[in-house]
Amino acid sequence: MSVAVPAAMLIGWELCARLAIVSPRYFPPPTLVAWTLVNRLIAGDLGGDLLVTLTRLAFAFVLAAGPAVCLGLLMGMARPVRELVEPYIAFILPVPKIALLPFLLIILGVGEPAFVLTGASSAFFQIVISTLAGVQTMDPRLIEVGKNYGAHGARLFWKVILPASLPAIFTGLRLGLGLSLVTLVAVEFVAAKSGLGHLVYRHWQMLSTPEMYAAFALVGALGLGLTRGLRALQARVLSWQDEIEL
Amino acid sequence: MTARPRWLAEHWIAIASPITLLLIWEWASATGLLRAVFFPRPSTIAVHLRDLALDGTLWSHLATTLTRIGWAFTLAAVLGVGIGLAMGLWRRLREGLDPVFAVIYPIPSVLFLPLVSFLVPPGEIALILTTAVTSFFLIAFTTTHGVRQIDRRVVEAALHYGARSWRLFTAVLLPGALPFIFTGLRLGLGFTLIVVVAVEIVSASRGLGALLWLSWQILKVEDMYATFFVIALLGALLSYGLAALRVRLLPWVPDVGDR
Repeated sequence: MSVAVPAAMLIGWELCARLAIVSPRYFPPPTLVAWTLVNRLIAGDLGGDLLVTLTRLAFAFVLAAGPAVCLGLLMGMARPVRELVEPYIAFILPVPKIALLPFLLIILGVGEPAFVLTGASSAFFQIVISTLAGVQTMDPRLIEVGKNYGAHGARLFWKVILPASLPAIFTGLRLGLGLSLVTLVAVEFVAAKSGLGHLVYRHWQMLSTPEMYAAFALVGALGLGLTRGLRALQARVLSWQDEIEL
Repeated sequence: MTARPRWLAEHWIAIASPITLLLIWEWASATGLLRAVFFPRPSTIAVHLRDLALDGTLWSHLATTLTRIGWAFTLAAVLGVGIGLAMGLWRRLREGLDPVFAVIYPIPSVLFLPLVSFLVPPGEIALILTTAVTSFFLIAFTTTHGVRQIDRRVVEAALHYGARSWRLFTAVLLPGALPFIFTGLRLGLGFTLIVVVAVEIVSASRGLGALLWLSWQILKVEDMYATFFVIALLGALLSYGLAALRVRLLPWVPDVGDR
């Protein structure tokens, strides 16, 4: 079934497009899209935009991850820090991070730093709240046992608190990376002149639909690959923890 | 009577910190330490917010956005819960749709706008459909998971006591999946707001996202801040309001999506 249904959908689409039941101008047959995708990848221009998006994603993620994990851990361990920072997190969290883009654009000017920081912001908040949740939901008995065995301060942190929050931190990193990609592609769609998001926008405007669907498919594959890859990595690295996740 | 002072004593930092920040910001922008072009004084922003509210601009944009959220969320909720339940109940349907959903779900919702605009005439309907996509998947996933995590033994016990089809569904499966459905709806509503603003930034001429983007394009920085404030307020109201609603309506139901 898991092969049959997608295959049937693709074949149905192919037939409808070939027999002009749906307009092939708007819905080109999947084989044509696949052909375009391969051609464009060989020609190199699609690969170039893919690389641009990946580079932005890497910068955004690296910028967000370190500070976010530190802040989340600090908030979890020191109540005053949590009280100090929580109002801002609660204020920004439900806001679409792309709404930060205009502010970064006026402060930093139109360019890479503004795009990358907008992408980073969506990862940042997700990682902070996941890390915080990890520290807060850990079994308090673990800390007590650690203390009874003489672990204090730095030792308690490295041996007990950090390992216990690792699964949540990892989940935060994974979700953050996904959100970062979503925001970045949206940013490229509205403001950038390169990247996969811009490619979809440009080919939409020019109505070159096979290229549009090819870029579209590449974004989907990228999202799927990142999510699946990180999930597998998480299962490997944190094999002693089973994750409760939706 | 002692509850309030104690709450204040525990949380005074959380209240004092934004106020202090606003005061510092006000002072820094007034003295020119922060460039007022980029960081206008909070009091100026407040005046602009009042003006936007008084001349009705804000309300009409807000109403547009809220209407879109309402339609998109309703659409996503009805379809998402329906298809999610069906996928939870029938293994074949689930196995068939899972790979399709897995490929489509990580695609940023804004990118669906071109696709949707081919299917329906551009305009409100295209915006609403694009907004509904992400929430639909989220709600469908959560609902499916909600049905699947019901204890087999509970279902078997119900079967032994003679519960069949409709009765089994309404008495066992639906209540069992309800916490997950509600979490899905809450997350879905949050995503509806996020996506609607993004879609409005991309393509609309009305709505809060459009107001924010247009204010940027004509460099009305104070209006940008004011609009952002309203969007954040709306987000807080939606997410915390729905959480409060759950506590009232389904007090026995735990929220399962907070990690």
